[in-house]
Amino acid sequence: MIFILPFVYILLMAVKTKQEAALFLFAWPSEWRAWENLVEVVQTRNYMLLLAYFNSTVITLGAVTLLVIFGAMVGYVLQRRRSPWNRVVYVFLLIGLMVPPAVVPTIWVLQNLGLFKTIHGMILIQVAYGLSFAVLLYRSFIASIPRALDEAAIIDGARPWQVFFRVILPLLKPVTVTLIVVQSVAIFNDFTNPLYYLPGRENVTVQLTLFNFQSQFQSQYNLLFMNILLVTIPPLLVFVFCNRQIVAGMTSGGVKG
Amino acid sequence: MKTLRGNAALAAAVALVAGTAEAETTLSVLLDGNADTNAMMEALAAAFTARNPDITLELENRPGGSEGDNVVKTRLATGEAGDIIQYNSGSLFQALNPVSTLADLTDLPAQDNILDSFKSVVTAPDGTVRGIPFGPAMGGGVYYNIPLYEELGLSIPRTWDEFMANNAKVAEAGRVPVATTFGDTWTSQLFVLGDFYNVLAEVPTFAEDYTANRAKFATTPAALRGFEHLQEIFEAGYMNRDFGVATFEDGMRMVATGEAAHYPMLTFAMATVRQNTPEHIDDLGYFALPGPSADRNGLTVWMPAALYIPAASQNIEAARKFLDFVASPEGCRIMIEAVGATGPYLIEGCELPADVPRSVADMLPYFEQDGRTAPALEFLSPIKGPALEQITVEVGSGIRSAAEGAALYDQDVEKQARQLGLPNW
Repeated sequence: MIFILPFVYILLMAVKTKQEAALFLFAWPSEWRAWENLVEVVQTRNYMLLLAYFNSTVITLGAVTLLVIFGAMVGYVLQRRRSPWNRVVYVFLLIGLMVPPAVVPTIWVLQNLGLFKTIHGMILIQVAYGLSFAVLLYRSFIASIPRALDEAAIIDGARPWQVFFRVILPLLKPVTVTLIVVQSVAIFNDFTNPLYYLPGRENVTVQLTLFNFQSQFQSQYNLLFMNILLVTIPPLLVFVFCNRQIVAGMTSGGVKG
Repeated sequence: MKTLRGNAALAAAVALVAGTAEAETTLSVLLDGNADTNAMMEALAAAFTARNPDITLELENRPGGSEGDNVVKTRLATGEAGDIIQYNSGSLFQALNPVSTLADLTDLPAQDNILDSFKSVVTAPDGTVRGIPFGPAMGGGVYYNIPLYEELGLSIPRTWDEFMANNAKVAEAGRVPVATTFGDTWTSQLFVLGDFYNVLAEVPTFAEDYTANRAKFATTPAALRGFEHLQEIFEAGYMNRDFGVATFEDGMRMVATGEAAHYPMLTFAMATVRQNTPEHIDDLGYFALPGPSADRNGLTVWMPAALYIPAASQNIEAARKFLDFVASPEGCRIMIEAVGATGPYLIEGCELPADVPRSVADMLPYFEQDGRTAPALEFLSPIKGPALEQITVEVGSGIRSAAEGAALYDQDVEKQARQLGLPNW
């Protein structure tokens, strides 16, 4: 019940008129304007919301795919192969987790690489921000997979890449689901990174569309809440359908290795 | 400064070929996201493109407040700010480091139309003008509910004591004397910032002395008064019960519907009234924040935001053409048509329509007489401490006394003054 109340509130606000929404009451709307508000939000600024959905989806899918592949690969090597380099890699992973990235130098790097204001540049940013977390998650999970499996596969004649893709990667499913859910919700909902790294009208993401209706001095709350409602639906669906796997993956990934 | 010189060369090149066919140009414009700002800019863009079919404008919104400040500074620092940006004038403009980030607009033909009072707040430290006004000037005073004033037989206060006497009568009648909305912390600053006319009336050199670290809020009785007023309102219990969480929208609704008698606010709030409570728009009147003496009663004025051209823009020539259009009486007329008149535009030859809302009409006489307006402190001094709104919330909620709050604010501005590298700090 407590979890549902905020959504009910958003829903009620989204179908009110501007005047009523500005009162912020938890009350039934006197006038049902769901369709009008929906149409207005979608049409605002030349169908900006649809473009934003497309951009956000591309960024989320691209970044999460890369995170899963690279996170699993690095985690696998890190766990299976003991070498003095592991410590160095660890230090960098922890730096990635702990040190906040600086905006302006990062933009300079992107500008020099010709990646600034591009969707793939944004994907790489999200991968860079999420990779440390992904590697650590995979590494500790791989520790719970017996080495005997690798050895059996090698004896059966598997090449190194087959060992990884055919034997190990399928076994990583629980933690992969966790990673997909956690990262896709985080990336889809990310606000500040697209704000700084992805300027330009063509490059809007869903969270940035909220600024069509909200500003410091004057806000159209009914449309704002309708926008929030539309933006909330995709991550909510992911969460509802994958809830069980998240918990399973979290606990299974928590084994120390 | 490489980019600056590069652009000067580019501008010269464009000037050489002016008259020949210009290629299709798209100007990107960065706006603060207010509905009014967008409406004005869309109307201007449509009219401008109708005349110059080869130039189109692309609008982009950014957040407001401190997040917006960061966005603007980041984009300017990385050369990605587009062709035109809309941003505050005054002390926030100075914080953009205008000499190296913004294009020089001193020789823009339309500068002849712009009032000198505005030019002074978009002039960079090297004496060049870098912006043009966008939107009307705003007054910092008090909205009052006219029907309630008539019902209680009150008259417009010209001194603080009269104001408090009115409040006492309103409280007796069981209404809220002063709508207070600390849910939006920025609304708490009005009693301090809007009192600046009265500060200047008593201490004409306060702004210079303050910038030079010779005068302080805590030790200047006239400046301290703003903080004391906040404390008095709290101690008298003249606020609404939910003052800690009420928002700006609540405040405007309360004063428009007569739930509250007064709401200290800037005049841009009319746009919100027009959206949320249009049936009460003529119930609102306006007066300047009263000071100690009835003879010297005047309004503290906020200059409008400005349009600037980033020095790194690729289309400076086309952008200048657009700004020239915005600052013309014609551009001004288009803006008024788009959002209605909420205050005087600082462009010569720009007349307000006769049927302005009552509260706007109340404000205009202050502008018509000499010496009845004074710019807010942030337009006279580059120093504005970032924590003022938190401090005024504390004073207004009785957490801190007026004297302590003022002293704390003096400490707060020290950091900014040092950052700006002002002498004597």
